[in-house]
Amino acid sequence: MGRLHRRFSGTTIFSATFLAISAALFIFMVAVIAGLVLYPSLPELIASLTSQEIIFAVQLSLITSAVSTALCVVVAVPVAYAMTRFSFPGKSLANVIVNLPLSLPPLVAGVALLIFFGPSLVGTVLRASGIDIVYTVTAIIVAQFFVNVPYMIRVTRSAFEMINPRYEYVARTLGCTEWAAFRQVTLPLASQGLIAGLVITWSKSIGEFGAVLLLAGATVMKTETLPIAVYLNISTGELNEAIAASVILIGIALVSLLVFERYGDGKRIV
Amino acid sequence: MLQITGLAKTLGSFSLKGVNLSIEDGEYFIVLGPTGAGKTILLETIAGIHTPDTGSISMNGIEISRMDPKERGVGMVYQDYMLFPHLTVGENIGFGLKQRSIDPAAVREQVRDVAEMLGIGHLLERSPETLSGGEQQRAAIARALIIKPRILLLDEPLSALDVTTRERLRRELATIHRMMKTTIIHITHHFEDLFALADRVAIMQDGTVVQVGTPEEIFQTPATEFVASFTGMENVFHGRARIRDGEARIELGPISLRTVAEIEGDVYVGIRPEEVIVSREPFESSAVNTFQGSVTEIRQNGMFSRIVVDAGGVPFVCALTRQSIRRLGLAEGEAVYLTFKASAVHAFPR
Repeated sequence: MGRLHRRFSGTTIFSATFLAISAALFIFMVAVIAGLVLYPSLPELIASLTSQEIIFAVQLSLITSAVSTALCVVVAVPVAYAMTRFSFPGKSLANVIVNLPLSLPPLVAGVALLIFFGPSLVGTVLRASGIDIVYTVTAIIVAQFFVNVPYMIRVTRSAFEMINPRYEYVARTLGCTEWAAFRQVTLPLASQGLIAGLVITWSKSIGEFGAVLLLAGATVMKTETLPIAVYLNISTGELNEAIAASVILIGIALVSLLVFERYGDGKRIV
Repeated sequence: MLQITGLAKTLGSFSLKGVNLSIEDGEYFIVLGPTGAGKTILLETIAGIHTPDTGSISMNGIEISRMDPKERGVGMVYQDYMLFPHLTVGENIGFGLKQRSIDPAAVREQVRDVAEMLGIGHLLERSPETLSGGEQQRAAIARALIIKPRILLLDEPLSALDVTTRERLRRELATIHRMMKTTIIHITHHFEDLFALADRVAIMQDGTVVQVGTPEEIFQTPATEFVASFTGMENVFHGRARIRDGEARIELGPISLRTVAEIEGDVYVGIRPEEVIVSREPFESSAVNTFQGSVTEIRQNGMFSRIVVDAGGVPFVCALTRQSIRRLGLAEGEAVYLTFKASAVHAFPR
């Protein structure tokens, strides 16, 4: 370790107190998570994990989160770039609006989406032209996108902010168009941040519950993503299925956290 | 010829306010000025990164101020190199040729040639961050030169380097300019660069050009107080330095100065006016340069006055207080002695 840490042996009452609280919290967290995973017997857990309902939920979650994450990337990259490099009127207001879903409870975002695609003018017009979003698989994607695109924008933006614009200037004097400079220089330099953003967005999409519940409903084997499966099975007392879905979500959370720790702390490229 | 007329551009807290410059083909043109004078915006606007608010830039009579950077034939080198960290040194140098869809074998050959010329041929497979500052700057110069730019823009290219590397690279820049005959616009705040490199110099201050001239003109007749304080040496002469019997001397035509700088050949000599002592009689001291001359001009301004003394045909500017001028009873035509130390004689290789 490069830094100077105080030795454990040099314990004072101060350090002992703080370390004890840390240890207590650590034990509490591990106990809660491990308790869930270890609650059913292994054969029960495997049976639930391979049940038709859970396999459906896994598939639906993977497909919807992949699509919504792809949409998030496609939208977030230009928005994040524009907000990093360009100045335009209303930029600070745009910043607030784009970040609002971050602090908004997803449940509220869900209600807003439900009104927008339901009884509002937009929803009515869409329905009249044969597009019904509410309580469909598309609604899952829309809800995941709406709630998570601010995260992707945020992470992508900080990746772009770390790149000195002079790299692009040099590339343009060397014969690149703005598009080519972006593709050949900025994107590769931002790739670590983009990967980190992608992973966190994907993992949040998979775990998204509140907004999905309100816009897509909770219909068994139809709009049943993993979090919805947890909710449905808990409410009907199917504890093992609920735990199976939770275990998968814990695994995904763990993997994405590790990837994010690995790539999220990008070096500043000046 | 590059013609800049009434160029104005505001970017955040930096701005250009009506810059006029004309730079000849093949000229080594230096822009000197303090931080925040707008020098970098000027270069980036010439390169086409920024569109001017008003004014025009034309190259050989063709207006280029709205042209895309890639059409302008301009190479750019920054102080902090800006080598693409995700590419090798060789890929960095070849970047411009790759954009022109040139056959990869031909790209490799040209990359090797330009890298050899700059002495970095052995580093092509390396990652830029593993190179020393001097090597990185050579790579950045190679990357700009390979597209055979009509104008090479250098933004403080030597400022991030240690003294030894800076001097070596400065000589190399002079060689590159001689060989390639490219027009070079070089931003700096080191006045050593002026003497070693510049054909002409523009002094910038607060977003405008306050003076344009040869290095000699700039140092001898600073147009503004700013230039004078920035350069600080009003006595600038062209001479030949020689070392004879272990003694460094600089011949200025009829008179010869003793100096401590151990260089030989064509040099510029600079002496600050405050370092020249004016006396009625010669006196014995540790200062080895003493010349007789006559006062040709007295300029009263502020606390210090400037008097010009002609010594053997060389006009020395000396700074004296008004009280000293009165005490010595100085007037135009009076005979005086000038005395200064060998260490006050600053020599810059030409």
